[in-house]
Formats: sequence, C-alpha cells, structure tokens
Amino acid sequence: MAAGRDLPAGWALSRAGIFLTQPINLIFLGVAGIIAFLSLYPTFFLIYGSLTDAPLGVPGHFTLNNYIRAYSDPETYRLIVTSFVFGLGASGLSVVLALTLAWITIRTNAPFSRLFELTAIVPNIMPPILIAISWVLLLNPNNGLINASLVKLFGWQQGPFNIYSLPGLIFVEGLILTPLAFLIIAAALKSMDPALEESAKTLGSSEFGVARRITLPLMRPAILAAGTLNFVRAVESFDTPAIIALPARIEVFTTKIWREALGSFPTNHNLAATYGVGILVIALLFVYLYRRFTSQIESFSTVTGKGFRPHQIDLGPWKYSASLVALLLLILMVVLPFLVLLLVALLPYYHVPTWQTWQNLTLDNFRYIWDTSRVHRAFANSLFLALVGASVCMLLAALTSYITVRTKIAARGLLEGLVFIPWAFPGTALALGLLWAYVDFPIPVYATIWIIMIAYVTRFLPYGLRAVSSTIIQIHKELEEASVACGAGFFATFRRILIPMMRPGVMAGWIILATIFMREFSATLFLYSPSAEPLGPLLYFLYLDGMRGRVAAIGLVISVISILLIAVAQRFSRWEKS
Amino acid sequence: MLRNLKAFLIFLALTLVISGPAFAQDAKLIEAAKKEGGKVVLYGSLESDTVEAVRKAFQKKTGIEAEYWRASATKVMDRALNEYRAGRPLFDVILTNDNPLQIMQKQGVFAKYESPSAKDFPKDAIDPNLGPRYRNVIIGIVYNKGVIKSADAPKSLEDLLKPQYKGKLVMPDPTQHTTTTQWVASLFKLMGKEKSDKFIRDLAGMKPILVESLLPAAERVTTGETPIAITYVKYAFIFGQKGAPMDYVRLEKMLGDGHYAPLSNKAPHPNAGKTFIDFFLGDESMNIMARMGEFVNRKGVFPPLPDADKIQFVEMLDLDTKGFAEKKKEYAKIFLR
Repeated sequence: MAAGRDLPAGWALSRAGIFLTQPINLIFLGVAGIIAFLSLYPTFFLIYGSLTDAPLGVPGHFTLNNYIRAYSDPETYRLIVTSFVFGLGASGLSVVLALTLAWITIRTNAPFSRLFELTAIVPNIMPPILIAISWVLLLNPNNGLINASLVKLFGWQQGPFNIYSLPGLIFVEGLILTPLAFLIIAAALKSMDPALEESAKTLGSSEFGVARRITLPLMRPAILAAGTLNFVRAVESFDTPAIIALPARIEVFTTKIWREALGSFPTNHNLAATYGVGILVIALLFVYLYRRFTSQIESFSTVTGKGFRPHQIDLGPWKYSASLVALLLLILMVVLPFLVLLLVALLPYYHVPTWQTWQNLTLDNFRYIWDTSRVHRAFANSLFLALVGASVCMLLAALTSYITVRTKIAARGLLEGLVFIPWAFPGTALALGLLWAYVDFPIPVYATIWIIMIAYVTRFLPYGLRAVSSTIIQIHKELEEASVACGAGFFATFRRILIPMMRPGVMAGWIILATIFMREFSATLFLYSPSAEPLGPLLYFLYLDGMRGRVAAIGLVISVISILLIAVAQRFSRWEKS
Repeated sequence: MLRNLKAFLIFLALTLVISGPAFAQDAKLIEAAKKEGGKVVLYGSLESDTVEAVRKAFQKKTGIEAEYWRASATKVMDRALNEYRAGRPLFDVILTNDNPLQIMQKQGVFAKYESPSAKDFPKDAIDPNLGPRYRNVIIGIVYNKGVIKSADAPKSLEDLLKPQYKGKLVMPDPTQHTTTTQWVASLFKLMGKEKSDKFIRDLAGMKPILVESLLPAAERVTTGETPIAITYVKYAFIFGQKGAPMDYVRLEKMLGDGHYAPLSNKAPHPNAGKTFIDFFLGDESMNIMARMGEFVNRKGVFPPLPDADKIQFVEMLDLDTKGFAEKKKEYAKIFLR
C-alpha cells in the first residue's frame, strides 16, 4: 500500500486500463453496478427512514430515537431469542427433511423417485399462509380433522395434537421451508462426483458410514446455504406466526414489529425500517458465517475433469422402505395440506366434513376461474413474470456467483452482501422502500409490469444465488483452466463449461424463483396497477374478502400449471445435457 | 288510446323538465370523462365483489371503465399518501373508512366535491370534507348456531363473560388489529366509562382466542373451531348466504366505522372520478351494495339480514396516532398477561 503512493499517476491509470481489458472485470463492473443499484437504491430509503422522524417524502429531522425505541426495550431481546429458537427449529427441521428426501430421490434406486422429486417442490408454489391455514384445519385442538378423527376412533376426551404451540409453529414453518432446502440440496447431490463415496466403500465403509463421513461433509455448502436462507426466512416471516403464534399467545420478533410498526396506525415506516435493519444485521452475520464455513472452496470441489455420472446407490430390498419414507414425508408436506385445500375449494364454506357435506360439494370456485377474464389476465401476467423474471434473475445470479466464488476480485464479498440487503427487510417494509424508490423514477416504470420484475429480482436474487453458488463451489477449477488453455475466452468458457456444469444449480434456482414469482404479493402490492395485475395480489384481495374457496381453487390451478412447467423445464434441461 | 298517449307525453315532458338539468350535467360530465381516457382509478378497502357489481352497472350506464386496487385500509393510505407526496398520484377516488381518510384529508389529498347524489343522505351522515358516509361497517357478536343453540347464545356483551363461554370466544388481537383497538376503546360509548373499564378487564380475563383481524375471527366461527366471535355483523349474512349456520346477537346498540368516497385533488381523471362518485352514491349502487350485505346510509334500504332495520349504529371514537399507540400499550398489559 505504501509503495502504491509513490508510484506515478500514470501507472495507476494503466492498471485501471489493464483491469478494464479483462472481460471478467468488465462483467464484474456491470453486474456489481446492476446489483448495487437494485439493492442500495430502495435500501437507501429504508435506512434513511430509520434515521428520520418524518414519513418518507416529508422533510424531517435526523434522529436516533427509532433505534433507541426499538433496541432499548428488553422485550426486543427476549423476542429475538424466541425468534432464534423458532428459526433454528424450523430451518433445522426443513434441512433434515430435505436431506432425507433428496438423498432418497436423487441417490438411491428407490422406485417413483422422479415423481417424488417433482412433488416435493409443490409447497413452494402455494402461498405459505394457505399451508399454515390447512394445518390449523388439520391439527387445531377443538375440531382439527386429524384430532377429531383420532378422538372418534379411540374415544379420547380430546385430540393429542395442539398446533397452537411453539413445536406446532416450528413444525408448520419447517414444512413450508422444506421445498427450498430440498431444491438446493438436491442440486448439489446431483452434481456430486461419486468417486469419493466409491473409494470409501472399496475401503470397507458401510452405506451409512459413507453417508456420514463422505456425503454429508461434501454437502456442507448446500446444507449451510439452505439452512441460512431458511433461518432468515423463518425469522422474518409473519404469515405463519400470525396464524399460529397469535392464538397461541407466543410472541416472536415479527409480531412485535407488526404491532408497533407495520400494523400500527398509521404505519410507522421509520420504526419498521429500524427493525428491518436489525434483521439485516442478523442476515449479514449469517452470510458471513456461511462464507467462512465454505471458504476452503477447493475442498468441496468434486466435479472434476474426469468423466462421471452421479450413480445411484442400490438399496436392494430396502429400496421400498426408502420409497415409503419419502412417501410419508410427502404426505406431510404435500398430500395432507393439499387435500384440505381441495376440500376448501370444493365446499361452499369450510366446515368439518359430515356425510351431508358430500351433497354440498360445488365446482363454483373453479367456475369462477374459468369465467373471470380478470383471473385469466392475472395468470398471463404471472406466467410472464415467472418465465422472464426467473430467467433474468438466474442470469444475474450465475454471474454474481461466479464472481464471488471463483474470482479473486477484491470487492467480491461485498457484492454478495449487497444481494442480501433487500432480502433481509420484512416484505412489507421493503415494499415501501421500493414504492418510494420507484414512484418518481425518471424512467416511468412505476405501476407497470416491469417494476414488478425489478422488485422480484431485488428481493429474491439471494435464493438464486444460494442455489447456484452451492453447485459452483463443487466445480473444480481445472475444467476452466483447461478451457482457457485451449484458447477459449471468458465468454466461451462461461457458456460451454460453467453454465452446463452449473445446470443443476441454475435449474434449482430457476424453479425456486419461478414458483415464488407465480404467487408473490408482499413486494408487489404497492407497485402494480390494476391494469397489470398478477396472481399474487389477486389472491391477496380474495383472501382479504374472505373467499378462501376461490383462493384455494386458484392455488391448486397454479400448482398444476407450475408442476407442468417444471416437468417441461427439467425435461428440456436433461435433453440438452444428453 | 289517444288520451293515454297524451298523458304519457305530458308525463315524459314533465320528467324531462324536472330531471333535465341533472341529465344534462351527467351527459356533460360523462363526455368530459371520456375525453380524459374513459377510465377511473379507484383505491380502496371495500370488498372487491361489491365493487365489481357496482363497476359493471357503472360501465353499463356511462361507458366508463373502472379499475380497482384493493388492499387493507392502512395499505390504501400508505400507497395513496406516498404517491401523493411524490407528486405521482394514480388514483381518482378512495373508498375506505373514516380514520385513514381523515389523516389523508389533513395532508390535503382530497378535493371538495359536492355530488348531486349527496342530497339523498341524512344530513348528520355528511362530513364537510369527505362527503356522505355511504356505509356503516358494524361490529357485534356473531355465532355458529350449529354449535350453540340460539337459546343458549349470549344476549348482550356482558353475557360474553359467563363461564360457559370460556374457550369459545374469538376476537382480533386488540394490541395488533387497529379497528379492534378502536372498538375496545369505544365501548364506553355503549356502557359508560366505569362499566366499560371493568368489562374490558373481565373480557381479557376470559382469555379469548386472539387472531389477526376480523375476518379470521368470523372464519373460525364458520368452521366451528371457535363458535362465538366479536366481528363484523355482515359476516353473518355473507357466510350465511353460502350455507354456514351463522347468526348474530341482537344487541341494542352496536359500534362501527363510517366509510366515504372522496375525490383526489390531483386526480388524473377528475371528471371520471366525479362521474363515478355520482353513480356510486346514487340509488342503483346503494341498492346493489345493500343486497350484498352492506349497511348503507339510505332511508329504508337495509341488507337482507333479519332485524337489520333495528340495529342502532354508534360511530366509534376517532383516535390519533398517539391515541392508538397508548391504547395498544394499555391493552397489551390487560390482554396479553
């Protein structure tokens, strides 16, 4: 550094010149510019909001009072601890379930694994609030379907399950978070070289020993990625706590934020932003920990130049048991909540079914979808957002991930931090930041479909990034080096070597994003205009109006469409590979 | 025959003379609205099916398209105020309740518009700034008569404190849900300060199930999970219509909130906005709304809910930001013990 000061100015300029001649550096600048803008522009308004005493857009005074109010209350810390327990429990459960399911469907020869793999994604398509409601209808102590059936069957006084408890809250959130963890872990399992496992086996390890000593440690980046994402997602979620924690009288951090800031009247944006900064600090801490735990990148590189094909472990007669375990998990994650939603969609109003119920079943809610042009338009808008939005987002994610994992460019860690900033704010708080950032933007994007796409990319880039990073970590550098040695430039190497090798991660990220974009609303709500309405807001107001039957019916149709899309996309990606 | 025709022509001429100016004004306004682009943009918290029914009738009559952005009252205010402050308001008319509208009014969001349709509203239901209070949203006790027989149902608010209803009562969390904070804070208007203070403490002592807002409370009644709720009375009609065994307790007086339809003073389509307000506050639209379960402020027009005409509406207390924060804090001590 000291030497740098003595060098003539021309030298620095020529260094900058050299920096700019490298295509990767130009790409770094481009990507960094886009991400910095997407992330910092709305965040600036939120941080500014946390430091002023007036609503955004109204001249105010600088103040630290919001921080004092939010963080001098001992209750805040008590609730952060509860939120930590909740977040760790839910993300832990999701990772364990996802790992089990992914291992069975990807690495073993258990029958029906393709079908299981496809089904495991379904809950990501449904708005989380619907899944939480389904579980309340199944497990509430008064007349939950499972409790009521058990009471009837065994003549008990009351049902054994109570959803309104911390374990109940963790259970439901864990199930909601599982598909995301599944997609990330499955992608990493798919691109893992089995040579190490085979060596261990040759040396006398049992299947279980291989899983514990080889597979699990190699999966560490993916497990940590999934765990980190899901932890923060649980800590900042309000949907499930609102449905389950409120009646259970369990307070978490987000219910406090809701009471004091977002749900206060009028909304206290300044305080909401201040609380958001707290969640941001937690999220960034986790990103830092993640980077530390995966810093010795080479040790995870298992995809090398040697030809390999992820082989399947022959479980012998145990393969049916493995299928059974997967089936049981999917019954919990998908079948039970979806049967409830189907019932909600088919009943004129939801009630515990009796024999009389079967005479009241109606297709009215599905007819509403069929007959209403507004619903059709919303489907078209959301499909566009899902297909184009997820693709744009994954392109950015792949480039960012390459830069942060592969290059030695100085500010690459910062780039990763940037991506996570907007994601750490509670959805409604970020929505306000986005509203303020873009309402008066020189390019008139406000209240068009493009602003929604900007919002989606801003908020959900971390999912894409995590999915693709945990597979890029596995790709050994020798492949790129070989390509470069053969005279290929950066773009050719990126297109011919990296993109194909990253495909499982890119695909997983794309599916996560496309399924979220099909029904997202909290970031969109303030930005769309009624003439460009996507499905998320439509579902939101139907829900507000108490039309659960329609919400469930639309949710089911979205699920079917998304599954078809995913199946086609997966087939397409496999076809390209061969 | 000829006499009949003559009588008819005289009648027609008279009608034209009497209603001529109104027609002419209508036509002029509609013409101007069409020149602005032939559409009106509404932001509001009025239920979308209700707006949809009114929108269709409005379009049929005027040929003007109405676009509706539906969200909760707080979110409506957030978006509208932010757009307004940034100088890019996209809305023409806001359809929501008193409290947020008063806040927006103080920030100068609304234009003063005296709609010709206002004359049909009772004088005490017209706000000098916001115009006619077109509907009252009334909060009472709703119960599932499949689970609780009408004879066993509570007859008054105080009845809710009887031990037999312990564990059977659901209400929105008054420390989270703004309208419920306001409802609890306004109970003194029904029973006097001393009695209401004791009632609130005893109600909290019943450990009611607390939920996010008024709708989930009603939904738990329809499913039978919790058979008695403090919620909007209209849900007894709306869910009852779908077949749910719902009824409401005939309290002598009930608290509620007034709703208005003011015009933005920076409306992108001011004439379409005025045309919409005229229609919205008119007979046809008020009757559509009443049929869908709304308590509209028109003499003799009631929702098809038994005894709806006997309900005495008492407007809830207006609270300011500080008032809400204080009440929420107070109720947290009482309800979340």
